[in-house]
Amino acid sequence: MPLRTVHEAKTERLEILAADGTVDKELEPKLPQEKLLEMYRKMFEIRVFDERAFRLQRQGRLGTYPQILGQEASQIVPALCLKPKDWLVPTYRGQGAYFARGMKLRYSLLYWGGDDRHARFPDGNNDMTFAVPVGSHLTQAAGLAWACKLQKQGRVALTCLGDGTSSKGDLHEALTFAGQFKLPAIYVIENNQWAISVPRERQARTATLAQKADGYGAFGLQVDGNDALAVYRAVSEAVARARAGDGPSLLELETYRLGHHTTADDATRYRSEAEVEAWRQKDPIARMRKYLESKKLWDEDQEARLKREAEEMVQGELDAYESTPAPNPLNMFANNYATAPWFLVEERQELERLLKLKQAQQEVVELPPAEGRFP
Amino acid sequence: MAELNLVQAINQGLRQAMEADERVIVLGEDVGVNGGVFRVTEGLQKQFGAERVVDTPLAELGIVGASIGLAVAGMRPVCEIQFDGFLPAVMDQVICHLGRLRNRSQGRHTVPLVLRSPHGGLIHAPEQHSESPEAYFAHTPGIKVVIPSTPADAKGLLIAAIEDPDPVVFFEPKALYRAAKGEVPERPYKTPIGKARLAREGADISLISWGAMVYTCLNAAERMEGEGISAEVLDLRTLTPVDIEAVLASAEKTGRVVIAHEAPNMGSWAAEISSLIHERALLKLRAPVRRVGGWNIRMPMFRLEKHFVPDADRVVLAARQTLSY
Repeated sequence: MPLRTVHEAKTERLEILAADGTVDKELEPKLPQEKLLEMYRKMFEIRVFDERAFRLQRQGRLGTYPQILGQEASQIVPALCLKPKDWLVPTYRGQGAYFARGMKLRYSLLYWGGDDRHARFPDGNNDMTFAVPVGSHLTQAAGLAWACKLQKQGRVALTCLGDGTSSKGDLHEALTFAGQFKLPAIYVIENNQWAISVPRERQARTATLAQKADGYGAFGLQVDGNDALAVYRAVSEAVARARAGDGPSLLELETYRLGHHTTADDATRYRSEAEVEAWRQKDPIARMRKYLESKKLWDEDQEARLKREAEEMVQGELDAYESTPAPNPLNMFANNYATAPWFLVEERQELERLLKLKQAQQEVVELPPAEGRFP
Repeated sequence: MAELNLVQAINQGLRQAMEADERVIVLGEDVGVNGGVFRVTEGLQKQFGAERVVDTPLAELGIVGASIGLAVAGMRPVCEIQFDGFLPAVMDQVICHLGRLRNRSQGRHTVPLVLRSPHGGLIHAPEQHSESPEAYFAHTPGIKVVIPSTPADAKGLLIAAIEDPDPVVFFEPKALYRAAKGEVPERPYKTPIGKARLAREGADISLISWGAMVYTCLNAAERMEGEGISAEVLDLRTLTPVDIEAVLASAEKTGRVVIAHEAPNMGSWAAEISSLIHERALLKLRAPVRRVGGWNIRMPMFRLEKHFVPDADRVVLAARQTLSY
């Protein structure tokens, strides 16, 4: 019997706005002016924040911090395609996505400043706290999407992962569930080309990561992740399909991590300046500005005003972070169980005695009031 | 002898093990070009090539599963899991296969691999980068668990672990990576697995510990010396098989024991040591064994970690309570 083809697959790539500002008129999404300006403003603001946060770490005023420099479009735009009641499950490099959903940046600083009082999403938002062990959130996102399907309110769940995480078994299991149960789930790979020191091509032999979708009955698409218009179109169409009951999508947004993996990393050890420079030329913010200018929606004065306002806003967030009183150590006993069991009651008392002793020895000068639910 | 820190000592041990045995390969995330995020594998890929020092895809369970296969087939893999907080992902392979293959195959398959991972807190790291998961491993039959606290032990235990016929989980206290310095012999040598180290001799009370907490116990012992109390400090070095003779010898000598460690106290390895002492030396004890550990909550983020990980104050308080029992 001759061999016959039982399945053929292809993977497409979406680009709309080129680095030089030229736009594909057929694919250009027809977005209201406010939406375009919101995308630009938020990308601009998060970059100002990112640079300040990086300097803050270098000055010893913040813990390890993962920069998102260069990934502003893939961070901000997917979150702007959601409604507040949709679920967002970002990666640990997710301060941009949270910001786009309305979370104040002071809370991102508190997180990277080692403070447990960081998970303050705006009321009414369905945002998950992010998970540091990469990939462990992907099956949970399938569960969130499953609940959306069962609850029949037209909600979807969108989650992000990196190119490195695409190698983890978690993605296989997550897409298996999402495909099998036709869940309203959107998996967004922020392919920033580097998993710490390991380049994208060492994660998978395949030409794209988007083509993984084909193995699970999910819709797959590669997207220029530095092209805010393409990201918007790809993600909002995936969201629309999910809402309509047409199942999950796997979108690969090709972008680039211009900074180090985190402030604890030194990217000059494993990649060339020429490579980084080539990606700088594909900057997502610069090309969006060109687009807005070509549509007469933006000029020098607006740019100067935005810069001033963004710096003021970021300074305000930074001040709020730095003026947050130190946490009371007793806080750590709150919110471990709905009702604290006997051993936590005892341990909290033990720590309280210990702190009094240390206060007597003047090791702990001042204790702010304890926060959180206990017992 | 050169004075090395823990990172340099482990690096030297790996290098010498690879020079001595070409079956030894190193694999993990960022261990090659980057030399590891803590630089433990620095320079190894340059010396031994990318086939023996391998940057793997980002997949912890895959790293351990593949290492099991490599080991069963006759290689000597030394795999690295980059942070202790990523270890839960590998427990499927560790519990279901790593510790069971020898017995399941009735000795036909053996798994002589080493699984290296950083351990513990107090370096202001992000969430899930400061965990102390040793009890999960020590509780798993069929594997050995070691954790050095000095550079000399780190090198000797690593070489012993690589040559060991059974799987060895090798924890590296990250607070000590650069802080612990000491003389390390240049030649290759083995520090026996299963033997504790008497870090300080004393007569009144035994402080039993492992990893970075050994230094906390030494500080506590020094402080107690000023109060006229002679404290002994035993560094277990190996958690399984624990050096039962050394533990009992110290417990029987002083009659009073405090066990200090970083993990949450309940179900911890300290609980096991305490139980062993009570079962085998009860009549020599003059007070119940006390445990000083982390609270039974998750490791908090770093602004509060020093209130979670026991300090010398807590060890001294527990010792005083034990002494006045």
